Amino acid sequence: MDIQSYISSGAIESFVLGLSDAAEIAEINVLRLEHPQIEAAILAFEKSLEKQALNAPTQPVPEMKQVLMARLKTEFAQIDPAIAEGNKDKQTSLAPVVPISQSSTSSIFKYLSIAAMVLLIASAGLNFYFYQEFQSANNRYSALLIQKNSLEANMNGVQTKMLDMYQSMQMMGDPAMVKVMLPGIKGKEQNMATVYWDSRSKDVYLLPNKLPQLQSNKQYQLWAMVDGKPVDAGMISDCAGLCKLKNIPRAEAFAITLESMGGSPAPNMDQLLVLGKVG
Amino acid sequence: MDLIQTYSEPELVLLLQQRSQTAFSYLYDHYTGALHTVILSIVGEEELANDVLQEVFVKIWRQMGSYDASKGRLFTWMLNIARNAAIDMVRSRQFQNGKQNRELNEDVYRAAGSTEKKIEHIGLRKLVQGLKPEWRNLVELSYFEGYTQDEISKMLDIPLGTVKTRLRSGLQALRQLLQND
Repeated sequence: MDIQSYISSGAIESFVLGLSDAAEIAEINVLRLEHPQIEAAILAFEKSLEKQALNAPTQPVPEMKQVLMARLKTEFAQIDPAIAEGNKDKQTSLAPVVPISQSSTSSIFKYLSIAAMVLLIASAGLNFYFYQEFQSANNRYSALLIQKNSLEANMNGVQTKMLDMYQSMQMMGDPAMVKVMLPGIKGKEQNMATVYWDSRSKDVYLLPNKLPQLQSNKQYQLWAMVDGKPVDAGMISDCAGLCKLKNIPRAEAFAITLESMGGSPAPNMDQLLVLGKVG
Repeated sequence: MDLIQTYSEPELVLLLQQRSQTAFSYLYDHYTGALHTVILSIVGEEELANDVLQEVFVKIWRQMGSYDASKGRLFTWMLNIARNAAIDMVRSRQFQNGKQNRELNEDVYRAAGSTEKKIEHIGLRKLVQGLKPEWRNLVELSYFEGYTQDEISKMLDIPLGTVKTRLRSGLQALRQLLQND
């Protein structure tokens, strides 16, 4: 492309004066980047236009500036950057500039906003810290609550057991109770149990003084010997103090055998542990 | 408080974009006469030129963020804003005056012929008077009255290519006049 003839074609003047169409504008914007002469010619024409315009001023009505300034009042920056910059430059040579009220107000706002920011960050940090603390306290509280409930349940159990024991002691001390000692039979002398038989109600209670540890599928069964025949007097379960068994109106003797869980209709004589006569 | 007397163009643009009142005041003081001349040379009436000038400064202030120094000098940008605003004002005036007469062509021909004496002695328009008549008329119609080359071609019954060539020759000659001014 012939740069000189482009420059003298009037395309540049047309562009600068705003008379070019979109395609012509696009073209010149590419060309000005590629060819410094074109850029220079654009600038030269702009400057000559500007010079001509500045050299032939005509003035509008004198109150125009005041009207404009009032109209744009709210759109100007609070702190004029030109003045701020000017003061910065002058500080080396001039006495310190006393800040005008507008800038001192805005510097207070600046400090306030910095302070607010610091407080906000600190508060956010505290929030996080307190939340962590709350979480940990909440966890400990839950753990304590569980512990308290289990202790309470334990205590209830112990209380019930104690009450049972107290009642057992009362019964043992009752003169109406017939006490029947059931010592271990021959070969099983280490075993021992006691039957307490209420002479009024004929209820039978048992104290398992010393009986071997049971397997989980086995249970002790008390038998009453009535007219030489064994009668089921009840299953011995894990009870505190005296185990209340069946009502036996009359019996000559009591015995305990080891039976399968739930008991048997007839005693397993091989597994006889203790035996004691009444009276 | 001391006012800073001069700004380089990039400084001035930066300060204006930072909404500096001092910079705007400087801009006004520095360019108001030139822009007023441009506007007056298009609208022709003082009162109207004042109205347009005020709007032009508001527009310059509010559109400062969109000014791109790589696309041209600050004055060129402001000059185009002023020219467009002035032409818009003239157009809307013509529209209001020509309400009864709906024939656009007639309006256009009337406008083409009506170059007030006063206008011809103002600013760039005064220089344009020194051009050859065939160029002068095209520069007047396109630059000062805002007609497109297509409109001018129809208006004067000249081929579009010829309008373009003559207009460019006229602008080229205008540059010579500017340099000798």
